[in-house]
Formats: sequence, C-alpha cells, structure tokens
Amino acid sequence: MLTYILRRVAATIPVMGLVALFVFSLLYIAPGDPAAIIAGDQATTQQIAHIRATLGLDKPFVIRFADWLWQVLHGNLGTSIFTNLPVLKMIEQRAPTTISLMVITLVMSIAIAVPMGVLAAWKAGTWVDRLIMVMAVMGFSVPVFVVGYLLAYTFALKLPWFPVQGYEPLSHGVWPWLRSLILPSLTLGGIYIALIARITRATMLEVLSQDYIRTARAKGVGRRAILYVHALKNAAVPIVTIIGIGFAALIGGAVVTESVFALPGVGRLTVDAILQRDYPVIQGVVLIFSFVYVLVNLVVDLLYTLFDPRIRY
Amino acid sequence: MSISLGGVPAAAELPDVLPPRSERGRAMRFVLRYPTIVAGGSLLAIMVFIAIFAPWLGTRNPESISPIHRLLNPGAGHWFGTDMLGRDVYSRVLYGSRVSLGVGFSVAILASAIGMTIGVVSGFVRWLDMVLMRIMDGLMAIPGILLAIALMALTRGSVYNVVIAITIPQVPTVARLVRGVVLSLREQPFVEAAVASGTRLPKIMYKHIVPNTMAPLTVQATYICASAMVIEAILSFIGAGTPPTIPSWGNIMAEGRALWQIKPYIVFFPAVFLSITVLAVNLLGDGLRDALDPRLAKRL
Repeated sequence: MLTYILRRVAATIPVMGLVALFVFSLLYIAPGDPAAIIAGDQATTQQIAHIRATLGLDKPFVIRFADWLWQVLHGNLGTSIFTNLPVLKMIEQRAPTTISLMVITLVMSIAIAVPMGVLAAWKAGTWVDRLIMVMAVMGFSVPVFVVGYLLAYTFALKLPWFPVQGYEPLSHGVWPWLRSLILPSLTLGGIYIALIARITRATMLEVLSQDYIRTARAKGVGRRAILYVHALKNAAVPIVTIIGIGFAALIGGAVVTESVFALPGVGRLTVDAILQRDYPVIQGVVLIFSFVYVLVNLVVDLLYTLFDPRIRY
Repeated sequence: MSISLGGVPAAAELPDVLPPRSERGRAMRFVLRYPTIVAGGSLLAIMVFIAIFAPWLGTRNPESISPIHRLLNPGAGHWFGTDMLGRDVYSRVLYGSRVSLGVGFSVAILASAIGMTIGVVSGFVRWLDMVLMRIMDGLMAIPGILLAIALMALTRGSVYNVVIAITIPQVPTVARLVRGVVLSLREQPFVEAAVASGTRLPKIMYKHIVPNTMAPLTVQATYICASAMVIEAILSFIGAGTPPTIPSWGNIMAEGRALWQIKPYIVFFPAVFLSITVLAVNLLGDGLRDALDPRLAKRL
C-alpha cells in the first residue's frame, strides 16, 4: 500500500514536468520582447541588449527552462508586467475567494447530484428518471455564464434574495460569506452536477442488478439501506473518478463565474491578465491550476482503496 | 396460389405472410427507436439552415450602426431589439450562428483527424507510444478551457486561431480513445489473419483498423463539437476569442454584459440560441452513442 502511494506520487512528477515545459514554452513563444518592454520606449539597442543579457534572455531554450524551473521550485513564479508584484503573491491574495467558491460548489454539487443519480437509477425508466436525465443533458448544454445571468436575474434582481455581484470574505461572518457565494456556486455547479448525476445513475443501475442486492432485498433490507449502504458504496469508485476528472470543468468554469459575479478570485485574475497580455501572470495561473488538478486526481486515485477495499496494490 | 407436394401443403408465398414494409412505417420506426437522434438532428438542421440562409431571413447588415435606434426593446422593427450601437440584435444573432457552428464543426473534424492519427500511430508503433502518450498526459493535465485561453493570449484574435486553440486541448481525449480501440483490435482474429496473409501495415490500418474506430469516434466528435461551441462562446465572452468585429454569440453576450441589468434581452437571445444548439448536438451525441454502441448505452 505504502509503496503504491509512493509510486503514484512519483508518477505525478513527470506529468508536472511536462506541464511546466508546456507552460514555459507558452512564455517562450509569446510575442513581444520582455527586455524591450522593461527598457521602455527611449532605450537604445545596447541598453536592451544589456537588459537581455542580465535577465539571461539570450541563453538557449534548455538553459532558460532549467533556470525558470529552478525558480518555480523555489516558489518564484516571476513578476507581473503590469503591477510589478510577484505573481505568487497576486495568486495568494485571490486564492481564498476561489477556494471558497470551489469548496462550496463541490460540496453542494455532490449533495445534489448523488441523490439525483440514485433516485434516477431506482426509478429507472419512469418519468422521474427521464426528468432527471433531461435536466442532466440541459446542465451539460447551457453554458456557465448563461446559467449565471439567469440565476442572477431571477434571484438577485427580480427577487432580492442574494447580492447581484461581489464577495464577502469569511471574516465578515459565515452567513454573508455563504450568501455571496450561493448563486456563483449554483452557476459553477451546473455542469458538475450533470456529470456526477449521469455517472451515479449509470453505475447504480449496474450495481442494482447484482446478485447481492437481490439477496439483500430478499432478506428484507429496507430500500434506503439497500441504496445507500449496499449499492452506493459499491458504486463509489466511478463516481469519485468523475468528480476528479470533472474538476477541470470546475476550474474553467471558475474563470467565467468569477467574471459574471465580479468575485475577486484567481479566475478573475486570469481574465484580467489575458486582456492585458500579462504573460507571467497567465503562466503562473495555468501552472498553479494544473498543479491543483493533478493533485486532485492523485487524491482521487488514493481514495479508491478507501472506498473499495477489494482494490489492492 | 399454393402448390401441394404429395399431400403436404407448401408454405404460403412470402407476400401473403409479411406485407412489405412501407417507407412511412420505416421512418416512423426510426423516430420511435431513436427519438434523441431525430430531435437533436432536426434542431441542428434548423440551426444549420439559419446559418446558411441568414442573409435571406429578414436580417439587415449585422455591422451597420445606427445610434438613433440604439437600445430599442424587442418589437416589430427589431424582433430582438437593438444594442448600444443601434445594431439589430436579431441579425447579429442569426449571423452569429455561422461562427458557432463553423467553430464547432471545424474543431470536431480537426481534433478527430489529429487525434485519430496520433491514436493509430501510438497503437501500432510501440516506441512512439511511450512518447506520444506522455505528451498527451501532460496536455490533459492542463484544464482545457485554461489551455485554450493561454493559447489565445499568444495570438491575435481570429476565428482561425480560436479553432486551433480549442482543438489542441481536445486532441488527447480522441487520441486515447482511438489508441484504446486500436490496442483491442490488434488482438482480434481478423487483424491477425490479415497480418498472417501478408497484408502490409498501411493497408491493415485503413482497411481494418480505421473503419472500426469510426463508431466511437463519431460519438466523441459530436461531444467535442458541443463543447467547442461552448468554449468559443466563453473565450469571446471574456474577450479572448473571436475579434469583436465579427458577430458571434459570445461576442454579442460580452457586449451586452455591461447593460444586462437594464437590457437583459441583448444577453438573452444569443444565450438561448447557443443553449439550444449545444443541446441539439449533445442529444445527437447521446442518440448516436445508443445506436452505435449498445453496450456502452446500457452502461451510461
């Protein structure tokens, strides 16, 4: 078991290395000469050449990549072209908003989607099942920002239950914090709920046709116990897997959701950086988000043994 | 007419037993058997019709500015109202379908073609497999929308660049799917037989391997088409997509954003069109999956 964990953790290192290589290449091929930008409009060619040499921009690709990677491993993601702040600091400042948004979305989506999927499987073939599956296809199809505007229009503008935009940090109290994040989380959760509900239904259908479920039913186990104790536990692995894979959609969706609801998070930072072509920030954000994504899927892999003791490594 | 042979009556002629199937009956059966294909397909056909015939559907120039008529509510003259520059939202939405459908189809075709090539090659050439699959792993580790955004930040906004930026993150899924199918096909007796009878590798690939990847690939391509349309809209919406001069659904919504609290219809109409189109493609994909891969359909 321990060797498996170590091996699995080690396997993420080459993946992260590749991600780093891709992300570095992005900056490498980015248009515009950083030395010329730093030197300003009045600089002479010699001055630009000097800055290029001091920054090491004249070195070959491999050496620059190694240098950059060394810096990244020491927590230095470079400096923003526009604010002159360290990129890591900028991300740190905005991380609490994004983490809050994602955690609430995650908890809410699982709490809504799993019972939905279980119900659909239990009532397979009936109108309840159809209705849930239609809702799931809709969740797939309606883009994040459309859901966002629809929710904001209904529950913030027409019915003043929630704030239209903005974020309240947790330090202002739990309720204001939660209140500012309910609509964004519902928005962001749309695709995620659809994904999880579909997989839950599919795996539950498979599990419910197993012999041990029939046995349990025959010996008089209640419906609730069959569904949540016998069946759901055995359906856990695919559900957890899709939660990990779907996390990518959550990251992409956060970029949009934070724009719609004006939340000062990392997603909003990404959009601003793109509009300003602030390449070091773009690079840093992509790197951090990918790192989180790989990490989430690592955790999912390790959770398998917890949910299904039959899986041994 | 029936003939008897030695007292044993022969079977009635076939037409007496089974009436020939009528054309209409066949069409009805298809609708009943694959309702999602029919529903998704017809909706998509309507959208394609709108995209092709946009100039003749009562539209005016989607670019023409008319400040006097700005921010008119939907009504007789302007069915979907006008935006802050007085442009007709109805015309812009109809012309916008060209961008969305064009991007969706192009990405689906490009990603399938590239992914298929990579998948077939890595399924057959063992030493390349290692390299290619590790590159795919790396690409897959970057969330798709984020990668597309980062790629768009490198280039000028143009429809062509949008297609490339959306295609690249989609390639690994196709490559992995095709590789999986190829690996299982390689072990099939008919491929072994082809190898044994001395068929050369390229011929095996296009005669035996590629046709068998088509069913799962078609289903995957429809899903890619749907997500490409959503990503195009997202890119345009955050200002990193199709240039603002071209009316695309994402662009119209991005422009309507500032005013959505007082003039929600500017965002509303393109949103409805986008959602319906994506829904149509997803329904088509679900239907195709059920029809082409009954085993998978049972599971999902």
